[in-house]
Amino acid sequence: MKLSNLIKREAIVVPIQNTEKQLVIEELLEAAAATGQVIDRAKALQALLDRESLGSTGLEKGLAIPHARTNAVDGLVISLGVAPDGIDFQAADGGLSYLFFLLLASDALTSTYVQALALIARLYQQDDFRREMLNATTPQEIIAIIRKAEE
Amino acid sequence: MPKTQSGRLISKILLLTDGSEGCISVAKYGIILSKITGADLKAIYVVNTELLKQLERARIFVKIEEVDYESDLEDDGQDYLQDITELAASKGIHLETELLKGIVHKIAIQKIEEWEADLLIIGELEPGLSRQDISHDELGLLLRKARCSVLVAKEQRGLDELFETLT
Repeated sequence: MKLSNLIKREAIVVPIQNTEKQLVIEELLEAAAATGQVIDRAKALQALLDRESLGSTGLEKGLAIPHARTNAVDGLVISLGVAPDGIDFQAADGGLSYLFFLLLASDALTSTYVQALALIARLYQQDDFRREMLNATTPQEIIAIIRKAEE
Repeated sequence: MPKTQSGRLISKILLLTDGSEGCISVAKYGIILSKITGADLKAIYVVNTELLKQLERARIFVKIEEVDYESDLEDDGQDYLQDITELAASKGIHLETELLKGIVHKIAIQKIEEWEADLLIIGELEPGLSRQDISHDELGLLLRKARCSVLVAKEQRGLDELFETLT
């Protein structure tokens, strides 16, 4: 499984325009909807917010992965956003979040969903990947960075 | 040509899957090889609970998600094993199945020994989250530690056509 095959160019937001947590999620969801895989946007948003209510998906070192499984989407859809100035996403380490992967999967795709989450976490552990992603300014550049990291 | 105790080079083929991509290729390879060699065929589906634990430790999952997804993966595993049992039956092959949970490479190695498999067929297993994780390189560990030959099934042009022509 390769992340570069899963992320579509139209689902990349750089830079993220909003600064408030829920609005950032909505902005990323809108990008995800550009793929045509979001069947019911309101239901998808609710699934993401329900998951956030269990605990923030803001992780360490500036990464946030808002995610949910819901039949409001068709298959697996990922959107990606970069916030160069950082956003308070209530991250586990108390720091700002800079790189966002929003991930939604239909209920039947548990295995693919789990593996996609693991893939994102694994890539993010590469120092070069983190640095280059935070400096990226176009979707094309972001796809190229992901491809390079996956080689 | 070297032969096993049963007198055949391949007499027991074990199929391993953990829900990674390529599950169906693993099954098709196994069924084709079983048909050609007459070997017994067994499939195990291992719910990768280690990966779920890693995701929980990395705070990507909260505990309730880990529990929910483990249960869902068990259901997926049952469905998959049922599907490939029917796939094998469609080619006149009997397939034994088992659903297991844990660290994928450890369970596979244990099953190879218990069932005395002489060929293991796997897909392209995904590594763990970090190099510090016990299961970071499932594929490498299996290749090094398995006491039988290992075939890594990849998406290959012609596999589906060959499978379809199998009678």
